[in-house]
Formats: sequence, structure tokens, C-alpha cells
Amino acid sequence: MQNKLLVYITCSAILLVGIAIVSLNLGAYTFEDTSLWNVFKNGIMGDINASASGDHYVLFKIRLPRIVMGILIGSALAVSGTCLQGMFKNPLATPNLIGVTSGASLFAAVSIVLGAHLRTYLPEVLHYSLISIMAFLGAILTMTFVYRISTSRKKTNVVVMLLAGVAISALAGAVTGFLTYLTKEEQLRDLTFWTLGSLGGATWVKNGILAVVILFSYYFLINKGKGLNAMMLGEEDAAHLGFPVERIKKQIIILTALLVGTCVAFSGAIGFVGLIVPYILRLLFKSNYHIILPLSAVVGSILLLLADTVSRTIVSPSELPIGILTAFLGAPVFIAILIRFKKSLL
Amino acid sequence: MIVAKNVSRSHKSFKILHEINVSVEKGEMLIIIGPNGAGKSTLLSSLADESRLQHDEIYFKGKKMSDWSKADLARHKAKFSQENNSDIGLLVKDIVLMGRYPYFNTQPHKQDWEVVHQAMERTDILKLKDRDYNSLSGGEKQRVHLARVLAQLENDDVDSLALFDEPLNNLDVRHQYHILETIRQYTEKGNSAILVLHDLNLAAEFADKVLLLKRGEVVAHGRPEYIFREDIISKAYDFPCAICKNPVTQNPMIVFRNQNRRCSMGKLNQSFG
Repeated sequence: MQNKLLVYITCSAILLVGIAIVSLNLGAYTFEDTSLWNVFKNGIMGDINASASGDHYVLFKIRLPRIVMGILIGSALAVSGTCLQGMFKNPLATPNLIGVTSGASLFAAVSIVLGAHLRTYLPEVLHYSLISIMAFLGAILTMTFVYRISTSRKKTNVVVMLLAGVAISALAGAVTGFLTYLTKEEQLRDLTFWTLGSLGGATWVKNGILAVVILFSYYFLINKGKGLNAMMLGEEDAAHLGFPVERIKKQIIILTALLVGTCVAFSGAIGFVGLIVPYILRLLFKSNYHIILPLSAVVGSILLLLADTVSRTIVSPSELPIGILTAFLGAPVFIAILIRFKKSLL
Repeated sequence: MIVAKNVSRSHKSFKILHEINVSVEKGEMLIIIGPNGAGKSTLLSSLADESRLQHDEIYFKGKKMSDWSKADLARHKAKFSQENNSDIGLLVKDIVLMGRYPYFNTQPHKQDWEVVHQAMERTDILKLKDRDYNSLSGGEKQRVHLARVLAQLENDDVDSLALFDEPLNNLDVRHQYHILETIRQYTEKGNSAILVLHDLNLAAEFADKVLLLKRGEVVAHGRPEYIFREDIISKAYDFPCAICKNPVTQNPMIVFRNQNRRCSMGKLNQSFG
């Protein structure tokens, strides 16, 4: 038991690194240098001229940031999904099904369109931070709203929870549509990217912000496994085991909103990662959050990195929006959960 | 161990508990009895610190309950609740292990698993340990949670308080006795226990003290032989009863009989007489 979790995490981390290396080599551009390691080494040593300039550019400005972003966002989305499922005590409570993703993209879209003229005055870090702060606000407002109306007497009404998600998604869809109608050519491209989701806009600045947000949130979230397990007994029994239930719930609401908001701000609405990853882990480890919560941080990265690699190679040199792929995987999982839990859902 | 003064609880304008005074000594097993709606479960949850109120005067181990931190309390008292969530996607042993959560940080120690093993042995669920909790019957689930509570209070350095809200529901007679014996062994080590029970004969057999509640007030509190008297019990339950000495255990034995059938019961008595 002691080392089991560590073994699982190490194994999946090794798998992740392997996939990342394979993914680095795949893509529309073929490297001139036969050894990618040389290009990497030269880049790190600051010896830019040693490699072909195309090689250097593609590796450090396109593929590497994109792969790192896939790893970060996949992890963040999976962990927020797992935490929300624990808090709502339901396998369908994921950021996009309860409308949190929509709420975040709504606010992000508004800030893109209205904040477009600010772009020339702000440095890049501030500009992206502004969008992610707005997305965070949208996420936390939606989350609080959904939790308030769907939970009474410490029990969550799943139907209300999902319908609240539908309502918010509809509202967000309407506003985004309206903004699309209003916008000029250049912002239109940005907005389309929001609704479909893509890792194409990866930069090191975005990755930096993401990494900070993720490290901060995981510091509080990743050890909540015991608390979430205990909350399955009921909130009162969890309190008898010494867990500060209200504080745990507040932390989960704020930090998952922060994670989802930042992800949406940088990659648009990539759905279903928070649904698929915990589902797969539940098949293997039951609902033991003590194991599936830390593990989902790695497995989420694997899933999104795989999906992104497929999305940019399958129709090369063009690329498929990643949201299409995750939805292809996610919808059957959604249906599987419905069939399996149909009795306990109401 | 625990002293509660003037505990009151109300729902809107309806008083559920009215100025209850109760105390439990070290090594004592207190059993709370009373008719439906007497406020037994509410009293138990107040004593378990489920609903903290500012003006509450509940002292646990000489310290005001509201001054305890929740994390500390988890090593000193545990509660078995009546309504357990029926849908928990975990293995039996993982649920019993939750009782050890107050004792380890990220990974359970070897000793924690030993305690879990013992607790499962005592509640007779050892052979179920790798089963899926959701596949168990009602009585088996009940025993899983009992094992969890026992595991939570297994430590050498503190004497603890265990609260049980109707722990015998769904259990067959062998397990009823077995559980009560286990709780008695626990109190004999210097720990205290408070139980809500419906079975008066079991209460008479196992309790050190009995608290009889009715409509949120204490009717009687004391040793079983002072509580289990025909006048007190008949009046409290609004139902006639007869009490005699149990020929086997020498404890009070309570027999209820329906008033409408007194005639036939009388005949029955005669024929026995």
C-alpha cells in the first residue's frame, strides 16, 4: 500500500515523458537535423546557429510550448474534474457539464472583444492575465451559482445541477454568438478558437502563468483525497473524522474555478477531460480519491497530449480542433456513466 | 468524561430538546431510550458536537466542547450515525481504514492496518474485506461502519467517547449481542459510550445508566433497575407493560402487552399461573 500510489504515479509519468518525446518528433515540419536531441541541446546551450534555424524555431517556439501546454492543461482539467466530482458526490459533475467552462468562456470572450483596444497598451503577461482573471471570475460565479441552487440540506440534486449547466451554456452560447456577430475580422478568429478549443496558441508566457496557477492550486488540492473519501460517508461523518468540510468545499470551489478559468483563457473550451480521466481511474481503483486524485494529475496530461498529437497529425498539414477529439471520447463515457448510474442519479 | 448542562434544540418554534442535563462518567455506558420523537437522536448529535451553538454548555474532558479543534476531537470521540450513505464506491477495508484517517497523513502505517484488521474481526466482517461496499446487505453495511468507528477510537493514550445512534438496526440477534459485548469491552477499558437503543431488554442488560426521554425532556435518569419500573415505562411509552426479573440474567425484563387484548392476555396468565 505504502508504495503502490508512488509506483502508479511513476509509471504513468514515465509513459507521459515517452509520449511527449514521440510527439515532439511528429508534425507537419520534418527536422533537418536527424537527432532532435542535438537541436534541443544547442537551443538550451544558447548556441542557436549550430542548428538549422527552422529546426530551432519549430522545436522551441511551436512544438515544445504546445506539448508543455497540453501537459499542463490536461492535468489541470482532470484534477478539477476529480475534485468537483468528489465535492458534488457525483461522477457527472465536471467543469463543462455543470456550465463552469461556459461561464469562463463567456467572460473570456467579453474581455477579448471589449479588451481588444487595450491590447496595444498592455504587456503580454498582463494582457493574458487579464483574460484569465476574467475567465476565473466567470468560472467562480457559475460554480457558486450551480452549487447554491443544486444543493440543499447537504445533498446535491443532480438533475438541477446538470440543467443549471445547460442553462448557463445556452446563455454563454447566445452571448458568444452575439459577440461573433459584432466583431471585426481579426477577433473573429480568436472567438472561433474559443468555442472549439485548441492548443495552437501556446507560448512560454502562457505556460508560465499556467504553471504558477497549477502549482498554487495543487498545493492545496492534491492532498484532499482522504477528505473527499470521508465526504462520501456524508458531511457530518466526515466532520467526525476531523475534516473541516466547509473549508475543503470552499477551497475546491475557488481553486477549481481558478484552474478551469486559466485553462479556458489559454486554450478555449476543451471539454470532457474532467469526465474521461476520473471515469477510467474509477474503473481501476474504484472511487478511492486518495489514489485517483493525484493520479488524475498525470493521466489527464497523458490524455490531452495524446489527443493533441492526433489532432495535429491526422489531417496534417492542417489540424483538427482538439475539442472534437475529446468529445468523441467523452460522449461515450458520458453515456456509459448514465447507464451505469441511472438508478442513483435521481 | 462529558457533562452537558441545559442543552436545548428547536426547529422553528417547535422545541425538540428542552434544557437537558446529562453527564457520563469514565468507563460508563449510557443508553438513551424513549418513544419516537423524544429527541434521542437530536440529543446524541448535540453531544457529538454536530450542531455547535454559542450558548451550549457541553464540557468534554473538562474542556468546553467549542474550544476543542475538530481534528483533535476525532481522536477522542467518534459517532456512528443512523443514516449512512448507501452508495459508496469503495472496498470494505478502505471504508474501515477511514477510521484511521485522523492518525496518518498521506500513507497509513502498518499499525493502522492492524487496527483495521482487528476492528473487522470484532464486527465479523473480515471475510468481506475485499468486497465492494455497494454489494453488501443492510446489516453488513451497518457492521462496516461499526468497524470504522471502533478503528477510529483504537489508541492507547486517550480514553475516548463513542456515540452510537441505533447501532443494532438490521442486525440479527447474534450480531446484536456481539456488538453490545464489544462496546462493553470498550467501556471496561475506561472509555465511555452513549447509545440510542429501541430494544429495552437489551438496554436493561447492558446499560450502566439509562436516560429516558419523552417530548424533549428527561423523564428519568439512573441505573437500569430504577428506570425499568412498570409505572415509569408504561407512562413514558403510553403503553402498558409488565416487568419481572429475567430468570437467566437477573436483569429487569420488560414485556409489553396490548390493552385491547388484556382479556386474552389475562387468560393466558391464568393458564400459565
